[in-house]
Amino acid sequence: MDPSQPPVENYANPNTCLFHVLFKGAALAFYILSALFFNSFVIIFVVTVLLAALDFWVVKNVSGRILVGLRWWNEIDDLGESVWKFESLDQESLARMNKKDSWLFWWTLYLAAAAWLILGVFSLIRFQADYLLVVGVCLSLNVANIIGFTKCKKDAKKQFQQFASQTIASRFQSTVQSAFTLV
Amino acid sequence: MSHNDTIPLYQSSQSDIDEIENMMNQEFQSGPGTVLPARPPSPIRPSIPVTSSPFVQSNLPPLPPPSSSSQKVTSVPVPPSLPPPSSGNFGGGSDGKTIGGSGFGPPPNTLTEPVWDTVKRDLARIVSNLKLVVFPNPNREDPGKALRDWDLWGPFFFIVFLGLTLSWSASVKKSEVFAVAFALLAAGAVILTLNVLLLGGHIIFFQSLSLLGYCLFPLDVGAVICMLKDNVILKMIVVCVTLAWSSWAAYPFMSAAVNPRRKALALYPVFLMYVSVGFLIIAID
Repeated sequence: MDPSQPPVENYANPNTCLFHVLFKGAALAFYILSALFFNSFVIIFVVTVLLAALDFWVVKNVSGRILVGLRWWNEIDDLGESVWKFESLDQESLARMNKKDSWLFWWTLYLAAAAWLILGVFSLIRFQADYLLVVGVCLSLNVANIIGFTKCKKDAKKQFQQFASQTIASRFQSTVQSAFTLV
Repeated sequence: MSHNDTIPLYQSSQSDIDEIENMMNQEFQSGPGTVLPARPPSPIRPSIPVTSSPFVQSNLPPLPPPSSSSQKVTSVPVPPSLPPPSSGNFGGGSDGKTIGGSGFGPPPNTLTEPVWDTVKRDLARIVSNLKLVVFPNPNREDPGKALRDWDLWGPFFFIVFLGLTLSWSASVKKSEVFAVAFALLAAGAVILTLNVLLLGGHIIFFQSLSLLGYCLFPLDVGAVICMLKDNVILKMIVVCVTLAWSSWAAYPFMSAAVNPRRKALALYPVFLMYVSVGFLIIAID
């Protein structure tokens, strides 16, 4: 992460970016390096899965909001049906979002999932079912975030298009009204 | 959309006609598509008065430094004072109004809240879910309402804790014990949920996972007691009591989800899973 590139805009939220990357990197690093230091599978499992879970929470609740202005969650409504809710900032704020922040957000999300996939293939090749369990849990957490945020982004675009057409219609109406009253 | 081609950081950038229109809009209608960006000027991040319920995932340890980057937004004015939505860009905003009011107080402005608030809210949710599921309370008759606000953090921690306790109690093969316990509980919860769904029951996948995880709490307590005291008779008594408690906790939710004639088919596997965990606890030496 370069903190200073004068001709280009900097990261607007360096702390958040750092934490976004920190837990992902820590989980991957711990998993890869732990075989050198720890004999115990339990510790590897617990620490890796804990870091992955922390990363999931940070991405979903903190860096998603701050870096790209999106948020997703699931609710159960009064009828007992499960509803996925998406929330986003309005279009202007989204346009004002730091490009570097959102680039970092999306790319680290994809890269982490790809890394876990590769590690999963390795443990599959080596027939280590218990490590496959760890990789499976971490991968599913990452993929859940990717899917959630992608859906949220699409929903935000759709919402904005609806809002845009609605606004155009109402502006047209008010312009016509003002034209008639002024004339 | 002339308002959006220049970024209106300051209200004085609006033209006169726009101002007249805005005044007329406020007179004629207070409906959707208000063209006045009703935001406080120059926010660091604009606060969007979103009506939404609290969130799903939560976490146990607070994250100290991220709150410093978000503390900046605590100075942004509180949402309820803003007029109703200035932009329609939140999914389910109108649905959120009805849900958000159902017992969680005024809906928070969740998109720009400080991180510490999120953490506290999620912790509170874990505690309330635990109380709803495991301890006697009036809402047990209506299971859908009780665990409406499911989360998976509580179950995650309970499963890991149980695995750790069992692993610690074991004198040999600690890793296998942990892996087996974790896999058994996680896969068991998924399979039990599928079982209910295949029996034609109405249950939401994650809600059921969440429930089965929370019902592990008594077994966690039992495992800790068994770890501390190594008497076989005591272990059996403790495990029987906590097993009964877990099954009692899980019963109303599972039985309400299926056809009454299939209640036993749905409940028996749950009981079986808890019994096998109980055996694991007793048999560990």
